[in-house]
Order: sequence, then structure tokens, then C-alpha cells
Amino acid sequence: MEEVIKLDSLIKKYDRSFSLGPVNIAFPKGFSTALIGANGAGKTTLMDIICGITAKTDGEISYFGTAGDADDGDTKERIGYCASQGMFPAGWKIKDVALSMSLAFEGFDKERFFALLAGMDVPADKYKRKSLSQLSDGMRMRVCLASAFARDTDLLVLDEPGASLDPLMRDRLCERFRDYIDSGNGKKSIIFSTHNIADMENSADYAVIMDNGEVTEQGFTEDLKDKYIIISAEPDRKDELSGLMLTCSCSASMLSGLALCENKEKLMAHGAVTERPTLSQLSVELLKLAEKRRMSKEAQK
Amino acid sequence: MKILLNSDIPIYKQISADFKERIMNGSIPAGEYLPSIRGLAKELKISVITTMKAYEELCSEGLVSAVQGKGYIVNPQDTGMIKEQYMRLLEQHLQDALDCARLAGLTVDETAEILKTLGNIN
Repeated sequence: MEEVIKLDSLIKKYDRSFSLGPVNIAFPKGFSTALIGANGAGKTTLMDIICGITAKTDGEISYFGTAGDADDGDTKERIGYCASQGMFPAGWKIKDVALSMSLAFEGFDKERFFALLAGMDVPADKYKRKSLSQLSDGMRMRVCLASAFARDTDLLVLDEPGASLDPLMRDRLCERFRDYIDSGNGKKSIIFSTHNIADMENSADYAVIMDNGEVTEQGFTEDLKDKYIIISAEPDRKDELSGLMLTCSCSASMLSGLALCENKEKLMAHGAVTERPTLSQLSVELLKLAEKRRMSKEAQK
Repeated sequence: MKILLNSDIPIYKQISADFKERIMNGSIPAGEYLPSIRGLAKELKISVITTMKAYEELCSEGLVSAVQGKGYIVNPQDTGMIKEQYMRLLEQHLQDALDCARLAGLTVDETAEILKTLGNIN
């Protein structure tokens, strides 16, 4: 499998309170990758480093198969970026966004930008007197998304693109993802972060789970769903089952959690019922697992 | 194609089952290409990796072959042999059903009644 971006022992040190890495990720080319993690896990830092907005402390990044920087040659032209907020100055109007984008990027298609905006219910003539600060969060996000989608790119890096969108618009965003991936015929890729995993479930081909500046699990979503299973059982089976489970929560009425699929038969023999996880269930349980491991490591210190 | 997103049957299984049926009954003839994985993902509103997994399953069962750079092509099917495989599988499942019936104290006729009822429901 070819990768679009490869991170090799990537490290970012801020101060004692937060550091990222060392991170190794191979983002697959022609697919859409979801970065999933708690607030402060390092998703935004990671995306900013990939796009050359934040400098890395150490490590290697390869872009489209070649080691280099985000600013090298045509790499900048090939990557579209959308920040979760504050991407354009608040006093700008939509036409200022269009002007600055067309000055910054050769591949920016102004007409396409306005057409995309109209398609997202932000007709530019209706909002021509409004500055970005006068728009709602969702509207501002649409302007940022349109500015990224209106360029001729091979990779989109989108930080929380669905966060401030309403459910209908989020669905349209997923549609737009699939159009983009399909139009590249295996050459266009997307990297995005999200907390709304359930809504983006069918837009993620590859998932990277992050906790506290580290990658705790990554893989193609279908492979991860084959690797793990979700369990439910009667609480009185806790002694037999908990040793086979990665995460385990127990109430007076039910025992539930995550386990490795390879233990399925043993778990069922102890009276557990199992199901194939959704990406959303899987993410929550893997984040709990990461937290649990981190806590026990800290306790040992 | 009919896809249920919240079914007990994984989406990739629903897709592979649908293609299996259409390849077996000849509505997708040998030599024809399946839709591109990204095109199908877009049409079915699912992820690319899910359609890929469905196609890989068809591949591993010998129904289609991957052609580098071109996609997945339907293989000539030995329908007689495939039918025989399914007959064997059917016999196996029916034997399991009869074993259950015996444990529950049902006669063969009573078991057959249940089978007929199920057939009518589906």
C-alpha cells in the first residue's frame, strides 16, 4: 500500500506540559484517514506539522513518496488545509478570502469557490457586506471548507471539519469527501480529525487513535473491526471474564467492554455475547484503554 | 443494491452477498468488471475500505480476480461446482438443525413444518 504522508519518529516538544511523539504513521494514499482522540491528544499539532504551519522538533516526513518540507516545490499546491477555527482574519469578507486564496495558490478556482459556497447555502452576494466575524461558526467553517475544496489538490488536511456543521451539512460534507476520493481514482487522499465519529463512520477508511501525544492504535477500519470485539455479559461473570477483556466496566446489571477477537470463543464459553464494533464504539473503548494504561504507568512512577 | 447500515450483517458481507448472487445467476457475466471500489463507495455512501473488503472476499472465493490498475473482473463460473458446494453446506446446516430438533424432542415432520414456515416468512 502506498502512503500519501509518512511520519517517521516525528517529535514536537512544546514544554514540560505537552509533547507529541515519537509518532509513526503511514497515511494510505487514495483513502480517507480519521484522527481520533481526546481534546489535547495532539491531533491539531500533528496536522499543523504536516501542513508546515508548526515546525517539528525532530523526525522525518515524506510527502507523496518523497522526504521534504510542506513548502517544497509543488507540495504546497497539492495540499489543501482547513483549520478548525481562525483560519482567516475575522474582519475579512468572503471576497477577501477569494482574493487571498487566488494570490496564494495557482490551483484555486474562484468560480468553483463561489459555486461551492452557494451549494452549501452560503450565497456570496447575500453575505457580501458581512465580515467573517459576523457569520455563525457553521457558516465560517463552510467558507473555509469551500476554500480548500475549490483548489486543485491531491491531499486535504481538515481539522474538525464537521464540528460546527448541522447534521444535514455534515452529511453533505461526507458526500463531498467521497466525491473527492472518487475523482482522484486512487490518487487523492484526505486526513481529518473528528469527535463526531458516529456521523463520519462511513467516511473513514483508516483510523489513527491518539492519546496524550502518542498513537495508541492505527489501521484500516475494517481490519480494526475484525481485530476487536465488543462484549456484554452478566455482572456475576466478572471474575472469569475481566482477565480476557481490554476494557471492562461493570454495573449491578451488566458487564461490558472491549476484547480481542481472538478470545471470542473463550469469552462466549463464559456466557458473554459479542458483536462486531462500530468505529464509534471502538474509538471510545480504545481511548479508555489508552487512558487506563497511561494511568497505571503514571502510578508506577 | 440494498444496504442496511445498522444490520447485524456487516456492510461488506451485504455487498459481497449481493454480488455473489448476481454473479451466480449470470446477471453480471464473466469478463465484466465490477464497479470501481471508489465509485461504488460513493454510490453506496460507505467507506472505500468496506467495498474493498467485499471485493477481496469475492476474490478469495474465486468469483472475481483483481487486475492490476484496472479493477476486479468476473471469472468464468463453474456453476455446477458452486451449486454442489452450496448443497454440501446446506446438508451440513440441516444436519445441525436436526440435531437441535432431536434435543428439543421434535420429530422430523415437525422440524420440516418449521422450515416451511420460515421459508414463507422470508
